[in-house]
Amino acid sequence: MTPSLWRVAAWPLVIKVPVLVAGLMVTVAFTISQVVLWKFVQAQEHNLKLVTGAYLDGLSAAILPAIVQGDVWGVFDALDRGRSRYADVKPVFTIVELPDRRVLASSDPLDYPAVPEDRRSRFAADDSLTIDSSSDVRRGWLARTLCLEPFPAGRPAAAEARSSPCLDKLPVARLYTEIDITDLLRVRREILLTLVLVNGCLTLAFALGGYFVLKRMLQPFAVLTRYVEQIREAGRVEPIPAGYRGRVAGEFGQLFERFNAMAVAVDERQTLAAQLADREKTAMLGRLASGIAHEVNNPLAGMLNAIDTIQAHGKDPAVLDASLEFLKRGLAGIRDVVEATLITYKDGFDTKHLTPGYLDDLRILARPKITARRLRLDLHDHIVEPLAIAGSAVRQIALNLLLNACAASPIGGLVTVITSWCDGTLRITVADQGPGLPEEMAALLHRAAPAMARGQENKGLGLWMTGHLIRRLGGHVDVEYPAVGTRMIVTLPAQPKETLDAAA
Amino acid sequence: MLRGLVGLAGVSAIPANGETGFSFGLTPVVLDNTEGLLEALQYYLTQQLERPVALVKRRSQRETLEMLLSGQLGAAWICDLPYVQNQDSLTVLAVPMYRGRPSCRTYVIVNEKNDAKTFDQLRGTQHAFCDPDSTSGYLVTRWLLCLRNESPGGFFRNFFFTYGHRNTIRAVATGLADSGTVEGYVWDLMKEREPDLIARTRIVYRSEPLGFPPIVAATRAQQSGAVETLAAALHGMTSDLAGREILAMLALDGFAPMSPGLYESSAEKWRVVMGQSRTRP
Repeated sequence: MTPSLWRVAAWPLVIKVPVLVAGLMVTVAFTISQVVLWKFVQAQEHNLKLVTGAYLDGLSAAILPAIVQGDVWGVFDALDRGRSRYADVKPVFTIVELPDRRVLASSDPLDYPAVPEDRRSRFAADDSLTIDSSSDVRRGWLARTLCLEPFPAGRPAAAEARSSPCLDKLPVARLYTEIDITDLLRVRREILLTLVLVNGCLTLAFALGGYFVLKRMLQPFAVLTRYVEQIREAGRVEPIPAGYRGRVAGEFGQLFERFNAMAVAVDERQTLAAQLADREKTAMLGRLASGIAHEVNNPLAGMLNAIDTIQAHGKDPAVLDASLEFLKRGLAGIRDVVEATLITYKDGFDTKHLTPGYLDDLRILARPKITARRLRLDLHDHIVEPLAIAGSAVRQIALNLLLNACAASPIGGLVTVITSWCDGTLRITVADQGPGLPEEMAALLHRAAPAMARGQENKGLGLWMTGHLIRRLGGHVDVEYPAVGTRMIVTLPAQPKETLDAAA
Repeated sequence: MLRGLVGLAGVSAIPANGETGFSFGLTPVVLDNTEGLLEALQYYLTQQLERPVALVKRRSQRETLEMLLSGQLGAAWICDLPYVQNQDSLTVLAVPMYRGRPSCRTYVIVNEKNDAKTFDQLRGTQHAFCDPDSTSGYLVTRWLLCLRNESPGGFFRNFFFTYGHRNTIRAVATGLADSGTVEGYVWDLMKEREPDLIARTRIVYRSEPLGFPPIVAATRAQQSGAVETLAAALHGMTSDLAGREILAMLALDGFAPMSPGLYESSAEKWRVVMGQSRTRP
């Protein structure tokens, strides 16, 4: 189970398609989220540049006169008031530095009396906004160089003034500000979270919707599978009811019709097979009757001769004894034939149990074949307690296989039958020294219907019947080919009779 | 508020019936940011003078003084130093009574994180003055430095003017200045109204009681009806409901005529400072 879980190809379609849809949704959602977030970040930073630029420009205009006058309080007061007037800007500090690097005023003189040296490099030389969005910083930096108007004509500008950002103006101070952008990043996180949540919910909804829709769409497959399974498990072929036909799409309707046509064909075939089996049974009865007649006829002829001999020469004690002995043997032979017939037909498949020694009858039942071919039968019955399984069916299975082995064995060969039971499993092993059971014949053991080739209707019918009986009992048969001959192993489920009785 | 803003916007107010209005000058000697104070004061004076009164506020004492001397203001509430400097031209109409006396002290304060415990330990600090024409916001510290034969530029690392006692306190509390010179009355009042700000400052020097900043008028206009009415209105503030509300906002007991020699101590300090200025190159 676990390996197939990781084998995507083995997943059911009803899972595979929704997962595919979810995967596509995730890919699309991720891409769109990235694009949206990227555009949002661009817009946010652009907006921040505008807002912080406006903040510094406004401050610059407010503090420039105070800077020119060296009015520390005026500059501080403007910085302090500016902090609360620009709601969209959260300055950490704003510092006015004179060209000689003396600080004229700071918005937070205690914590930031001057521009911290480690931040100075953060301020861009071109007065543009720089941002560090990393989680441990979350700050933006912006500076402005404050300049006075151009010098009057004829008055030379200082060299440093010409090289400053003010070009031809006189730089009087530089305004540094560090902006707290935590709120901006929080908005970004909220948007990202919203995107993830919305896309996640949509993906989940599409996946679930796809699952249920597909499950409904594939329902005809389940119906078809159920009817096919019936054939496999019970050998029962039933057409799909017409009511289903109207409830499914066109292509499934056609599939149902084809299945029903096949079901009808298989049903006809099974009927034919049953008829064949009946005919075989009748033929077997005929053969049995002729066999019995043959087996009885021969001793009868001898016995009649013996009676004639007694009538003619009955006064001779030696002839009388010999004739009586012959009569006795003849009668014993007839008794054996009667016994075998009785054993075979005295009870049907109604026998619910297999008792120890039940299979000993196999010796008697197979004796004619064994004797005729001068075979040696090695029968080991290891069943020591009654089993809850149809005994007559088991004996029929074993007898069929034994007779088959006898037929396949060479003259004087050895046929072995071993029966055993262990852990709820009855095992019957039948081995011969024949040339090996052809594979097409062995396949008959597993077929649902007997071979139907023209002119071979009766060939292998016994094997097919054996396989049929084994399947009826819920078992299976394995055919092995050792160095010599064939070995067939029948495995049948069987519980001890006492266990079932106790459970009952 | 609108009335107050209108009153503050103009130097003079012309009434609809053609009667001349009255302009009253204010300087940062009082906490004019107290909510409703300016409106109440303007309303009270208008009622008492029976003519439109405009409250005129300028950033520095000097600007207000110049307007007063040039006749643009009918009267003004100024610091005592400009009065001491211009006693010939100005007449005191009324002196505020604070905690039962017409005087208040000057405080030299430091930021709470500053280690200085005495005035002398302020050497090398950045100092905030209120106004160069203010006794409690400049003259007292300047006088202390004179006694030590020092000047602000030599004693302090740097100094600047805030043009407001509240501004000076803010400058010291925020750390813009390490120390500052403020009027004790304003500091005491802010201790009740803005305790968080005051908690970040500490007093290292208290002066002796000095004359409270007076309400003055140009001497040549003293006899005018409006000025006399103004003086009477100020003196009678305690007997009027609106007047008492204004006094409550100002945390003052009332207004009284000037007692002789009230500003002598301030005048003496100014003379000392002027003396040093003459002897220094």
